[in-house]
Amino acid sequence: MKVRGSKELLEEIIGSGLCVYCGACSGGCPYLAPYKGRVVLLHNCALSQGQCYQYCPQTYTDMDELSQQIFGVPYGQDEIGVARETLLARSTNAEIREKGQDGGVVTTILSLALDEGLIDCAVTSRMSVDKTPAGFLARNQEELLKCSTTSYEASPVLEAYNRIPKQSTEKLGVVGLPCQVRALAKMKAYPPENRVNVNNIKLVVGIFCGWALLPAEFHQFLTENYDLSQVVKFDIPHHPEHTFDVYTKSGKKSIEINEVRKFINPACSYCPDMVAEFADISVGSGRHKYKGWNTVIVRTKTGAELMELAKAKAALECQPLPDENLINLKQAALRKKKRALANIVAKTGSKKNLLYLGVSPALVNKLLT
Amino acid sequence: MPRIDIDAPGTSVLLLGNEAIARGALEAGVAFASSYPGNPSSEILETIVTVATERNIHAEWSVNEKVALEAAAGASFAGIRAMASMKQNGLNVASDFVSNLVMTGVGKGLVLVVCDDPGSLSSSSELDTRNLCKWMDIPLLEPSNSQEAKDMTKWAFDLSEELGTICMVHSVSRISHTRTNVKLGELPKTENKAYFTDIYDINKPGRGKFTTIAGPAELHNQLHQKLARALDKFESSPFNQYTGPDKAELLVITSGACVAYSAEAIAELKLENKVGVLKLGTTWPLPEKFVEKQLARSQKVLFVEEVDPFIERSVMELAANLPADSPHLTFYGKRSGHIRQYADLNPDLAANAIANIMGITYCPRDVHYDEEATELAKASPLRSLELCPGCPHRGTFWAIKEALRLDGRDGFAIGDVGCYSLGGFRSGYYQCRISNVMGSGAGISNGMGNLRQFGFDQPVIAVCGDSTFYHASVPALISAVYNKANFILMILDNSATAMTGFQPHPGTGKNAMGEITNIVDMETLCRSLGAHVDVCDSFDIKNTIATLLRLMAEGDGSKVVVMRHECELLRARREKKRPYQVHVDPDKCIGEACGCDRLCTREFGCPGLIWDKEAGKSKIDESVCSGCGLCVDVCPQGAIIKEAV
Repeated sequence: MKVRGSKELLEEIIGSGLCVYCGACSGGCPYLAPYKGRVVLLHNCALSQGQCYQYCPQTYTDMDELSQQIFGVPYGQDEIGVARETLLARSTNAEIREKGQDGGVVTTILSLALDEGLIDCAVTSRMSVDKTPAGFLARNQEELLKCSTTSYEASPVLEAYNRIPKQSTEKLGVVGLPCQVRALAKMKAYPPENRVNVNNIKLVVGIFCGWALLPAEFHQFLTENYDLSQVVKFDIPHHPEHTFDVYTKSGKKSIEINEVRKFINPACSYCPDMVAEFADISVGSGRHKYKGWNTVIVRTKTGAELMELAKAKAALECQPLPDENLINLKQAALRKKKRALANIVAKTGSKKNLLYLGVSPALVNKLLT
Repeated sequence: MPRIDIDAPGTSVLLLGNEAIARGALEAGVAFASSYPGNPSSEILETIVTVATERNIHAEWSVNEKVALEAAAGASFAGIRAMASMKQNGLNVASDFVSNLVMTGVGKGLVLVVCDDPGSLSSSSELDTRNLCKWMDIPLLEPSNSQEAKDMTKWAFDLSEELGTICMVHSVSRISHTRTNVKLGELPKTENKAYFTDIYDINKPGRGKFTTIAGPAELHNQLHQKLARALDKFESSPFNQYTGPDKAELLVITSGACVAYSAEAIAELKLENKVGVLKLGTTWPLPEKFVEKQLARSQKVLFVEEVDPFIERSVMELAANLPADSPHLTFYGKRSGHIRQYADLNPDLAANAIANIMGITYCPRDVHYDEEATELAKASPLRSLELCPGCPHRGTFWAIKEALRLDGRDGFAIGDVGCYSLGGFRSGYYQCRISNVMGSGAGISNGMGNLRQFGFDQPVIAVCGDSTFYHASVPALISAVYNKANFILMILDNSATAMTGFQPHPGTGKNAMGEITNIVDMETLCRSLGAHVDVCDSFDIKNTIATLLRLMAEGDGSKVVVMRHECELLRARREKKRPYQVHVDPDKCIGEACGCDRLCTREFGCPGLIWDKEAGKSKIDESVCSGCGLCVDVCPQGAIIKEAV
């Protein structure tokens, strides 16, 4: 792909409604900074090619190349990507479960990885007191617990990763949404310069994602309706429920999900990845009678080894993913792919121009039928 | 600077025009001198300060020129000879009071010294203040060298008392800042006693002499009579001289700095026998009879004067009233396009005009040399005005730039007059989009703070200096609070009136004499006016950005941010060493690579940082770097290292 610079990044992506606010472009230089839902150009960078453009998940991405690099297979063979194992899991630690979104699996496996020295530091998203999410470096379970639960807003986690001093030798585990995982995959394929060594990343945990909310606008909406310092958790229960739940210390308030859908980042409608296909382990919420559990997809050898360790140490309670759930998962993932392709082609007007998506025409046709 | 109180009449001393003005005031027995710093006038008060204690003179920096003149008038009304000095912009500030002073008249001699800046080398406007004398009826004296600067200033006090009105001595940069020989006069040994005689007299109740309400028209009439008396004196003043042939092919009429330019031009052209020079020193009211007589020497007249056609028009008016059978006069000057009506002049421009009129070629240098020199000049890089290395304003403007970008609502800054005027230049990252007169930054942005009803939601940051704040911004702050404007004012407190020469001001705790005095604390003042006040260190960029973002997000109300950090030149003079030894680690510097792209030299732009093109790295220029260490926080790679000295 033709790597361009910050000027083009601002024109083609940020200024064109394609920015997913993942933070991949920021933190590695003094020019770009994420702030209140926008990526801001602070000063004029004169470079015609930049790593901001190169690692942005919304610039041209050869999905086959990334898939080959990580898994040794072409992209698109399975709706949910490469899956060594699919299962339901939840933490055996009561505190983690209590503070977690669903089963506390992400916190558990990161905590385990830290304890075992597989990683020295976890790069995750943490909400501030007023529930604004941002990247955070956690080095122990206590800090990890501060990162529990999601804001449902886009969080520029990768900015925190990019800020890590380039001479750092800390082994890293990174948690991200599918777009962030895609950006990391690009970094692994084309290792960054003058930044922290991408080989420091020993573990990538992906989070399932249908869409993310626009931070500034949704936050404004929340501030107008809630005292955010009293909020302990947000949750979107599965279909056929249709609410956005806000848990405060005194109870739960529910908003009609359609009220919240107004704040979906339009850029998300072009994303085909529901299950973070390029991660080592992908984690989502359990459905219906598995509320309080996580759906887990193990993808790589690294992921498998960590899951084995978690089972061996009884850090996780596991059970096989029932067939019905797997089918639903694949259908949901496929729906997102199809929707994305349709939206992309509607935006560009041509099957040949897929914006950032580099996939084979065969796959395109398959998804568009 | 030589002592200007040398008691040796007849001795010749080399003096700056401004020093000579001060000496002239001393010889006139001045005992009260007030001013506000402003180039090219500042040295006048500074010179008087050096002898003020010994000669029992009250010398002060007033908070602004209006107050300076009012203070001097107070002394004059109470029987003390007084002088107020300022630059052309200062006269504008004082002009409201001038317009009344000419009505009331004065007590003891009151002299107004105004120093213009033709070419506006250090001003936000170019103005020819001689016009104020015509407008407000003030006798005007224009010295053409330091000797005249002294003699005219001395005479101005006598004139002021004889006429009963304020008199103006008009200087320009070239006169104020050039040294020429001055033969000294005598220094008076008077004792000055202040007493205001015009108090209420119970036996004969009546209005005070120095009041103007109800009756200025009649006072105006009286003023004209005073000017008529001045005219009489001017007709025989030795300050008006003709030099040259009895009958000349060309008569040059000139004044001020242009006297020297004209003389040099004529000598260069070797036209001393053909071109005569009428040098005028008393230029308002114009000594008409005298000038009329000189006009008879030639039928061609060239006016060599700077900026406005002040004398040109007066003489043309005069010529319009000459007897019908007078020889026809052809005038050259600004109207004819021979002399430009803006910027300062020089002997070359005068020579070009004279040569043109005389029909001769003036080729001051070899044509080839001229072409080559012009071509070579194109290769010279455009050098902008720059903030000093170590200047706290650099930190402030960098923070303003980033804060406005982060805020993202098309915000902007408005500045005005001082070192921080460079906020509108590259050195200040072009952040100040509007810049006018002292205090206008606050005034204008306070106005914009009341445009909500028209959908205006751009954050506006007013920027002013510490001295400017006291001089002119306070009324705007009061107005903002009173009229509920959305208002953010950053006061860049570097503890000095820096641009004009580090003079003290009400916030510094020292007066013009160097004595410790009351501090007018700006935070307390602003809070008492009802503004919310934050104090930041200009070198703490992160905190400044956070503060600005918070204030801009809050929206409503009047807020002041005092950016406190001492002017680097003040600090350097006092401490005589750098706080840090700064260097760039070439192993850490990534230069033009992605992750930096030469941020320090290309964007941040402190003159202490230079780009080594061959090595592809930034370097500290040791001869320029002040060792402040601000760049250390800006470098994204931590490649700039500071070590405490």
